[in-house]
Amino acid sequence: MKTVQPDNVIEMLHITKEFPGIIANDDITLQLRRGEVHALLGENGAGKSTLMSVLFGLYQPEKGIIKKNGQEVKINDPNDATALGIGMVHQHFKLIEVFTVLDNIILGAETTKMGFLQKKEARKKVEALSEKYGLKVDLDAKVEDITVGMQQRVEILKMLYRDNEILIFDEPTAVLTPQEIDELLITMRAFADEGKSILFISHKLNEIMQVADRVTVLRKGKYVGTVDTKDTDKQSLSNMMVGRPVQLEVVKDEAKPTDTVLHVENLTVPSTTHKRNAVNGVSFDVRAGEIVCIAGIDGNGQSELVYGLTGLEKSSGGTVTLCGKDISHATIRQRGENMSHIPEDRHKHGLILDFTLEQNMVLQRFQEPQFQHFGFINAPAVREYSDRLIEQYDVRSGQGSITTARSMSGGNQQKAIIARELDRDKPLIMAVQPTRGLDVGAIEYIHGQLVAARDAGHAVLLVSLELDEVMSLSDRILVMYEGEIVGELDPKKTNVQELGLYMAGAKRQTGKEAKGA
Amino acid sequence: MVDLIQKTLLYAVPLMIVALAGVFAERSGIINLALEGIMIFGAFVGVWFVRLVQEWGWFAEAKANGDWLALQGFELLAMLVSALLGAVFSLLLSFASVNLKADQTIGGTALNLMAPALVLFLIRILANQSTLYMAEGDAASWFMIKKSTLGIDSSTELNPILEILINKVYLATYVCILLFVILSILLYKTRFGLRLRSCGENPQAADSLGINVYKMRYAGTTISGALAGLGGFVYALTTAGCSANGDVAGFGFLALAVMIFGNWKPLNIAGAALLFGLFKYIAASYSSIEVLSNLGISSYFYRLLPYLVTLIVLAFTSKKSRAPKAEGIPYDKGQR
Amino acid sequence: MKERLSNLYAKDGVKTVLSSIISIIIGMVVGSIIIVIVGACTSSLGISSVGEGIQLVFGGLFSTGRDAAGNLTFGFNSTNLGNMLFRAFPLIMTGLSVAIAQKTGLFNIGAPGQYLMGTAATLYVALSIPTSTSTLYEGGTTPAWLVWLLAFLAGMLAGAIWGAIPGLVKAYLNINEVLACIMCNWIAANLVTWMFDGSALRNTLESGKTGYIYKTSYNGVATAKMGLDNIFPDSQVNGGIVIAIVMAILVYILMSKTTMGFQLKACGSNRHAARYAGISDKRNIVLSMAIAGALAGAGASLYYLSGNTEFFWSTYQSLPDAGFNGIPVALLAANNPIGVIFTAMFMSMLDICGLQLTNLTAYNEYITDVIIAVIVYLSAFSLVIKQLLTARKKHKDEPTAAATTTADAAPPTGEDTKPDAAVQQTVKGDD
Repeated sequence: MKTVQPDNVIEMLHITKEFPGIIANDDITLQLRRGEVHALLGENGAGKSTLMSVLFGLYQPEKGIIKKNGQEVKINDPNDATALGIGMVHQHFKLIEVFTVLDNIILGAETTKMGFLQKKEARKKVEALSEKYGLKVDLDAKVEDITVGMQQRVEILKMLYRDNEILIFDEPTAVLTPQEIDELLITMRAFADEGKSILFISHKLNEIMQVADRVTVLRKGKYVGTVDTKDTDKQSLSNMMVGRPVQLEVVKDEAKPTDTVLHVENLTVPSTTHKRNAVNGVSFDVRAGEIVCIAGIDGNGQSELVYGLTGLEKSSGGTVTLCGKDISHATIRQRGENMSHIPEDRHKHGLILDFTLEQNMVLQRFQEPQFQHFGFINAPAVREYSDRLIEQYDVRSGQGSITTARSMSGGNQQKAIIARELDRDKPLIMAVQPTRGLDVGAIEYIHGQLVAARDAGHAVLLVSLELDEVMSLSDRILVMYEGEIVGELDPKKTNVQELGLYMAGAKRQTGKEAKGA
Repeated sequence: MVDLIQKTLLYAVPLMIVALAGVFAERSGIINLALEGIMIFGAFVGVWFVRLVQEWGWFAEAKANGDWLALQGFELLAMLVSALLGAVFSLLLSFASVNLKADQTIGGTALNLMAPALVLFLIRILANQSTLYMAEGDAASWFMIKKSTLGIDSSTELNPILEILINKVYLATYVCILLFVILSILLYKTRFGLRLRSCGENPQAADSLGINVYKMRYAGTTISGALAGLGGFVYALTTAGCSANGDVAGFGFLALAVMIFGNWKPLNIAGAALLFGLFKYIAASYSSIEVLSNLGISSYFYRLLPYLVTLIVLAFTSKKSRAPKAEGIPYDKGQR
Repeated sequence: MKERLSNLYAKDGVKTVLSSIISIIIGMVVGSIIIVIVGACTSSLGISSVGEGIQLVFGGLFSTGRDAAGNLTFGFNSTNLGNMLFRAFPLIMTGLSVAIAQKTGLFNIGAPGQYLMGTAATLYVALSIPTSTSTLYEGGTTPAWLVWLLAFLAGMLAGAIWGAIPGLVKAYLNINEVLACIMCNWIAANLVTWMFDGSALRNTLESGKTGYIYKTSYNGVATAKMGLDNIFPDSQVNGGIVIAIVMAILVYILMSKTTMGFQLKACGSNRHAARYAGISDKRNIVLSMAIAGALAGAGASLYYLSGNTEFFWSTYQSLPDAGFNGIPVALLAANNPIGVIFTAMFMSMLDICGLQLTNLTAYNEYITDVIIAVIVYLSAFSLVIKQLLTARKKHKDEPTAAATTTADAAPPTGEDTKPDAAVQQTVKGDD
C-alpha cells in the first residue's frame, strides 16, 4: 500500500479526532491533488470543519498522519500550516473589525524594521495581487465598514499575501449573492488552473457539481467515499451525504390565504451599528394561511425588521398592526399575546442555556395563572406542561424536563423552541432562520411543522438566507436589500438567478409593485 | 496658578500612566480590575525599597553632598523596582485569566483584596505601625528638584513656564510622560502593538494567523502590571511624601474610568487624566483656593467630587465608548 | 455503599462544596506559608512564633489565651463562639447581597457603600426618635421596639436606594456596574462623614469618644438577646443572628420558588433571552441591585442596632470590611443563600482567629485578610477546580466514556461547537 502518488500535494491519512463524548473524525482519509478543486461534502456536524482545523493546525488529531508532497509533516499550529503553504478562508471570517483592510492582510506576516511596521512594500504587494485576480478591495477602509463580499476578498488576499499554495474555503458561499457566488467559483477555478490546490467545503450540491473535480463525502464523522464529479449526480451525492434517499423538495398544497394578520406600514428601525436606518420604510402584509418569506443577503436589515416587529428594538417610524391592533409601541410581552417568535439565534435569544428544559418551556408563560399562585411558581403544572411538549414534539434530552438546555444537541434545542412557540398557538408565527446549522432530518421536521402551522390557519413570516429554503417553503417572497423591500416574487414564477439580482440590488420593482400586499 | 498646574500634573501623571496600564491589559483582552491593588502593592514596594537602601546607607553620602544626580538615580531605581514587582504581582491575574480562564472581574477583585491585606500585614511587621515612611527625611528633601538643586538661586524669579517645569518637580513625572509617549508609539506603530491589539479584538482571528494569544495576553497584562506598580509608587512619591499605607483611595478605579472616558486611546486618555487630575487637586487643596473655601461647603463635598464627576462623565460617554471587543472573555484554544 | 458515594460525588452541588473546601484549605495553607516566610525572615519573630501563628490561624476560635508558662492554650471558648455568631450576621447579609446580584449577573462590589448608607440611616433614626427608655432624651414616649423596627427599615431603605443607583446607570446608561459601585462607595464614604461631621449624634458623653456615634443603647434601642447570651456568656451575640438566618431563608425562597426569582435569574443567565421572553431586563437589573442594597443595608442595621457597637464616623478614607467580605462569602457559597449562612460563619471565624493572632502573637489580623483574598482568587476559577474534580472522575470511568457517542450528543463541530460563546458573560455592558 506504500505507493507514493507524486500528484498528491496533501494527504491526510486515517485521521481520528475525538472530543469529550464524541468522535468528530473517525479514521478519515483525504487526498488532495495538485491543481484540483476538491470538494468536501457533508451535513452540519459531519466533521468537515474539524478535519480542516486539523489540517490548519488548530486541532491535533489523536491518530493519523498528514503528508505534504509525500513527506510526513507535523502541523502544530497555524504557523506550521502557513509555512507549508496552507491557507484557509474560515466560515466565520477571521477579521479584526476595527483594523483597516491592509492591517488585516499583513497581521501575522508583517514586514518590520527594528520592530516598526513597514507598510509600504506590503501595500504594493497586495495591490498587485488584487489587480492580478480582480479582487477589488479598499485597503484603507476599516473592515467593519465594508461589505461581506469584500470581507471575503480580504480573506482570500490574506492567503495570497502569504503565497499559500493550498487554499481551504470553508463554506464560502453562505454569505454571498448568487452572482457573487459565480464570481467566487470562477476565481477558485482560476487558482486551480494556475497550479494551486483548492479544498472546497460545502453542503451545496449545485456549487460542488459546478466547480469541483472530485468530492470526498463525510457522514457523522466517518469517511463515506471519494468520487469524481463527472461520474456522479446530485441525487447520489445527496444520498451519500445523508445515508438515505432524501426528499429534496418540500411537499405542500397550494396556500389558501384568508384575513390579514400582520400589516406593516412604512416601518423604520434605526441601526445600532451605523448611522443609517437598518430598516427603511418597509410595508407588507402577511395573511392567515400563507408563508411569506423575507429573502436577502445577511445584514440587509432582516434581523432588525424582526426586532422591530417583536419589540426587541424600538422602531423610529411607521406602524405595525397585528390582528387589527396597533402594536407599534407595545411592549414585547403585549406583542407576544398574538405572535410566536422562533428567533434567529437560539443561544442568544431562544434559550437560557443554564435553565432546565422545563424552565425554558415556560419562558414567556410563567406568569399565566395556570403556572403560578400569588407569585409562587406552580412547579407540578410546569412539569406536566413541559412533559407534554417533550412528548408531543419529540424533543430528546438526557433527563427530560430537568435537563439543562446547554447539554442538549443543537437540533433538539431548536425543536424545544419550535415546540414552545408553536404550542403557544398564536395567529402569527415568525420564524427566523429556523433551520440554521441543523442536519437534514431536523430540517425536514421543521419545514413540515411550519407547513402544518400554515395549513392550520396561522400566518407564517419566514426569514431565511438559504435560497433553497426560500424557494421551496414560501408562498410569497419579499426581497430585502439595504433595509428596503425591493421586490415581491412568486416562487413558482421566479428562479434563483432573478432572486439573486434583487438580493444584490441590481434589480428592483417600483414602489407600487413592491408593496407586498 | 503655578501651584494649580503643578499639583494637577502630580495627580494627572500617575492617573495617565495607570490608565495606560489598563489600556495594555484590555487591548490584549484582559480586564485588569486589579489596577488599584497593583498600585497599592507598587507603592509599598517602592517605599520599602527606598527605606531599605537608606538603611544600608548607600545614598547617605550623596544626600549629604547634595549630589542630586545620584539621588535621581536612586529614584529611578525605586521606580524600576516597583514596576518589576508590580509586573510580578500581576502574573497572578494573568495566570488566573489566561491559563485557568477564570472570571477576570473576580480575579481582579481578589488582587484588590490581597494587596492591601498583604501590604498592611507586612507594614505592621516591618514598622509596627500602619503607615510605612522613609527611613529618614521625606520625598521633598531627597528627591524633589528645586531651583536650588539646579544651581539657581532660590530667590530668582523665573518666568512662570520655567517655574512650572523645573521648580519643585519630580523627575518621576517626566519619566512617566516620556514612558507614556514611547508606549503609545509601541501600541500603534510596531508589530508587537498590532498583534497585541488584535488579541483584544478577535483572538480567534489572531490565533488563526499564528499569533500566540496566550503570550500576547501575558505580555499585555504584565506591561499593565509594571505600569500600575510604577504608577502606584509615583503616586506615593509625589503626592504622599513617599509613604505607603495600603490604600490609594480608589485611584486605580479612577484610572479605569479615565481609560473608558479616553475610549482606550492614549491621546484622549492624556486629556481625560488632566481633567480628573484637576478634580483631585481641588479635592486635596480646596482650602487654599480662596474662591472655594469662601463658599463654606463641607470639605467632604470636594472630596467626593472626583468620584461623582467620574460617575457623571461615564454616564455621558459610555454610550459612545467602544471597548475592545474580546475583553473579559477567556480565550480557549480548543473552542473556535 | 461505594456506588452511593460515587453517586454523591457526581452531583453538582457536592462538587461545588468540595471546590469551596479546597479553596479554603489552599487559602489557609498560603496564609501559613506567609507566616513561615515572615517568621523565618524577621529576626524579632523567630521559629517558635511560626508554630503559634499557624495554630491560631487554624484553631483561633478555640483559643483560650496563654497559660502561666506562656504556652497557647485551647479549649471551648464561649466568648469566641458567641462573637463569631455576632460577627457573622452582617456578613450573612452582605453575602446575600452579593449573591442575589450575582444571580442576576451583576457584580455588587458596592456592598460597602450600601452598608455605610444603611449604617447612617439606621443610626440616625435609632438615635433621633426619643424612646421611653432613652438616656439621651427625656420624656420620650415611643416604644423602643418601634424605633428599632423603624431604624431597621430605614437602614434597608437607604441601602436599597444606594444599590439602585448603580443598577439604574447600568440598566439605562450601560455603565459597567463595577465602576459605578466603586464610585458610589467612595461617594457614600464622604457623604456619611459629611452627615455626621458636627452632628449632635457624636458621642460627647464619654471622654475621647467624639470620633464615634452614640451606641443605640443610649436611646434604649437594642436587638433582643433571645436567650443567646445565656448560651454564649461574655459575648456580643444577640437575636440578630436569628433574623439574618431567617432573611437567608427568605432570599432562598424568593430566588427559587417565585416568579420574581425566575425573572431575576433569567436576566442574570441570559439578558437577551429574558428580553425576548418579554421580561424587562432593565427593571430587573434595578430591582436586583435594590434588593442587594437593601440586604447590605439590613446587615449594617443589625450590626449597629446591637446596642453595644460603635460607629467611627470619620470614615471617608476607608470602606467597611463587612461590605467587601460579602464577596468571598457569596463566592464560597456559590451564591446559594443557604450556603451563605455557613460561609459567613467561616469568615467570621477567620476574623476571630485574626484577633487572637494580634492579641497573642507578634503577627496581626491582616493575615486573615490575605487568606480571604486567596480564597476569592481561587473562587475566580472554582469552575476549573470543579472541572478537575470531574476530569478525575472521568479518568476512572474511561471505558464507558467512549460509548457516549450517540446521535443525541451535541456534535462539537460546526455551529454547535460553541454553545457558550454567544452568551459569554462579560462585565462590560454587552449591547
